[in-house]
Parts: sequence; structure tokens; C-alpha cells
Amino acid sequence: MSLERKDEHDHGAWLAEKELSLIEKTYLMSLIWLDKRFRIVDYLELLEDMYYKINLQMPKSHTEQYNLDNKFWYWYPLYALGSFSVIAYLVAAVSGALLGFYYAPATGTDGDPIAYETIVAIMKDLNFGFMLRSIHRWAAQVMVAAVFLHMLRVYFTGAYKEPREVNWIIGVILLSLTMLFGYTGYLLPWNQLAFWAGQIGVEMSLAVPIVGEWTAQLLFGGFSLGQPTLQRMYILHVFVLPFVVTALIAIHIGIVWMQGIAEPH
Amino acid sequence: MSENESNEPRTDGSGPGIVAPDDEVPTWRERKERTTGLSRVTYEYFERARREDQDLRQESSYVERDVLGFPTWPHETIRNIALASFFTGMLLFLSAMLPPHLGDVANPAETPEVILPDWYLYWSFGLLHLDPINPELAIVGGEKIMSDELYGVLANVVVVGVIAILPFLNKGSARRPVEEPFWAALGVGGVVFAFTMSILPIQEMFPWEVAITFDLAFFLPIIAAAITYAVLKTMREGYMYDLNRRYYRLRPPR
Repeated sequence: MSLERKDEHDHGAWLAEKELSLIEKTYLMSLIWLDKRFRIVDYLELLEDMYYKINLQMPKSHTEQYNLDNKFWYWYPLYALGSFSVIAYLVAAVSGALLGFYYAPATGTDGDPIAYETIVAIMKDLNFGFMLRSIHRWAAQVMVAAVFLHMLRVYFTGAYKEPREVNWIIGVILLSLTMLFGYTGYLLPWNQLAFWAGQIGVEMSLAVPIVGEWTAQLLFGGFSLGQPTLQRMYILHVFVLPFVVTALIAIHIGIVWMQGIAEPH
Repeated sequence: MSENESNEPRTDGSGPGIVAPDDEVPTWRERKERTTGLSRVTYEYFERARREDQDLRQESSYVERDVLGFPTWPHETIRNIALASFFTGMLLFLSAMLPPHLGDVANPAETPEVILPDWYLYWSFGLLHLDPINPELAIVGGEKIMSDELYGVLANVVVVGVIAILPFLNKGSARRPVEEPFWAALGVGGVVFAFTMSILPIQEMFPWEVAITFDLAFFLPIIAAAITYAVLKTMREGYMYDLNRRYYRLRPPR
């Protein structure tokens, strides 16, 4: 027995005296290596906390607690419309990002507009391109439909009432922005539908006194349609609206989380 | 230890560096109470709110059980994943079965016979066709005070605005349409109005007079609302009896 005090923290010796399989030994050695550098042990509490959070018991809903299911189960699909809008939004975001790789928002000088030609190329030449555009378009259509129906569900079940006014107003803004998303989106192919819808948009903004001309300049890049219009619609569709709408959806869902779902009684 | 006990102030960074609170040192509560102005009223309100919350919890007869429902994992998670996958699958199926149409290339020289936006903007586009009811004022010699286009834009603003302020008009804890026939009727009228407005842009295409379509666009929502109101009023009595009985059996009035 030596007089020298043993190092209690000699992990190597501790590892050597244990009989471990190869997998266990490799695992422990890498764990010790990482822990020496990043002190994982300090974050164990966080991990533990996370573990218990994901293993929470969901509280029984009002309808389950008071056994009202016999009256209400057939309404339940309508209570999923909000999440369906979010799922459709995510599908549209992913397919839209892929479409953005191949689309160019340009009208060009002669011949067919470049925007139109790129979409023709996506649909005819690109592998899976036809399906990609189809997915994007249907996701958009379904999202708008789901948002409308979601609003009707909220209205007819009285879920918008005090104390949920703020979320209703955010919802109305989100509905308007969803339609704006759709509008800026279907202007992008620069086909007949797009052009004349844009024409209506310009006429609408020009009809407003005082700020009308300024709005037309800002949103449509002039009083007649052309390259500036297309480019602005593109930036609105792929840059401005995604950020705004995503942030608003996060707030909207966060408020639902805080206030709880307004269940029927 | 003996060094630390000396009361001499030291500036070399050693020592605990924390002064033990004595009687002179205000607590955080006292500090907050001594504030003035906005922070003072904020503090007072939050104190009131906390007390209110505490009182309501103590008075409440709501029984909290230890285990209230399903575990998040796996029950809730698997159910949510199943619903999300089903919905996404439905979306992909739809895309494969009904591919979109890419119309003719934009041509400023050729106005299409029917100009229509995507379906979800039909109601809004319809509101731009309200020129027959744009009022003419006698004081300006029978001229319209605003252009038909502006009138249509304002109609859009009004519709969205009315929808936005609904929660400030209708309050209370009623949840079901039968409990509030008026608001349910308003909702049904609104939905029908959205559909009838959608046919205004193509009102010339019907084989009868344009005026008939235009009038119907306003009468049909009113008729639908009236029918809804009558039906719900009739249902109401028996239904509310059942509802109240169950409600008060579950939570007897104190």
C-alpha cells in the first residue's frame, strides 16, 4: 500500500478493472472522451427534464372528462382542420422550394415569357417535375380550403369568443395572407389567368384615392403589368410572405397552446 | 478562516464578495412596493391578479386527478403521425390523379371572354361587381360619390372588417349554434352570401334577366339565414332542456 493518494477520478483505471464487452468499452471510451471536452454531465439535468417532458401524460380533454363523446365524436374531424392547414403549408413549402430551383421570374423580351417557358420545362423536361408542380398547386388549394373550413368550424362552435379575440384577429389576418399567398402564386406562371388577375389587382389598387397609385407602384411595379410585376410577386411569394405567415402561424398556435382548445360543452 | 472574519473591506477580489442582508437592506418585495409610476401600478395589478388566481383556485371544486389521460408517447404521437400521414397521402394522391392545367401564355392584346381568379377569390371578385347598388346622391346632381371600383374595394374591406370584430360583438359562453340561433343564422347567411357573390361576375351568363340574378344574390342569403333561425329556434327548447340538465348534473350550481 503506497502512501500516495489514489486518484479517485482515474477513469482509465476504472475502465480497466471492469469486464466490458467491446461495444460497451468503445461506447464508454467515446463518452468519456466527449465528456472531458464538453462536460456532458452538466447537461444531464436538461436531458432528464426533456425525457420527462416527452413522456408527459396528456390531460384528458373536456369531452373525455365529462364523457360527452356520445354527442361529439362526429365533430372531431373538424377539429383537425387547423393542423391540416399547417401540414398542407409544410408540403407546399417543401415542394415550392424545389420548384424555386427551376423557375425564373422573368418575362423576357421576345417570344414566350421566360417564366412561362421555365414552367413548361419543369412540366415536360424535369424528372418528376409535373408531379412536383401538381403537389405544390394541390397543397396550396387544400391549404386555402382547410383554412376557410377551419374558420367556419371556429365560428359555428363559438371558439372565437372572449378570451380568444386576439387569436381570431390573427386568424383573419392569416386567412387574408393565405389568399394573398395564393394570388401571388398563380401570377407566377404568367399565363392568361395570371395576367388578367394581375390586371384586376392593378385596377383595384388604382381605384383607391390618395394611396392607390403608390400601392400600385409598390406591389405591381407600375400601372401596367410587366417584368417588375412578376419580380415583385415572386419576392412576395418566396421571401416576404413565407416569413410573415410562418411567424404568425407560430404565434397563432402558441396562443392556442396557452389558452387551451375551446371545447364544446 | 481568521482572515475572512476580519471586517476590513478588501478590494483584492478575494473573500465572498456578498454582503449579508441586515435589517437595513430592503427585500425585493419592498423594493417593488417603493417604486413609482408605471412600474408601481404594474406591480399592484400583478399582485391583485395573483391574489385573484389564488382565491379562484381555492374556491374551485374542480378535482385534479393524478393520471388524467393518455401518455404522449406512444399513444398521442402515433395517432398524430397517422393523421398527418393520411392527410399527406391524400394530398399526393390528389396531385397524381388531377394534375393542374397550364393555360395559354399571357397575351395583353387578347382579353379573355371570362376573367375569373382562382376559386377562393370568387367572393372577393364578386364584391367588385356591386356597381348597381353604388348610391347616387341628389346633392351632387345624381352623380356617384365614389367610383364603382373603389366601392368594390371598400366592400371587401367592410366584409373582412366585420368578420374581424365578431368576438367583440358576440360574447358569452354559448358554444353551440342552438344556443344562439341569431349568430348561427348570421353565419349561414354569410356562407351563402360568399357563394352568391361568387356568381356575380358571371351574372350575364344565365338565361334570365341580369337583375333577377343580382337580386337573388342578396335575397338567397337572407332566406337561408331566416330558415336557419326558424329551425334552430324550433329545436332550441327541447335541446336546451337536455343540455342544461346534463350541464348542471355534471356541475351542480352552488
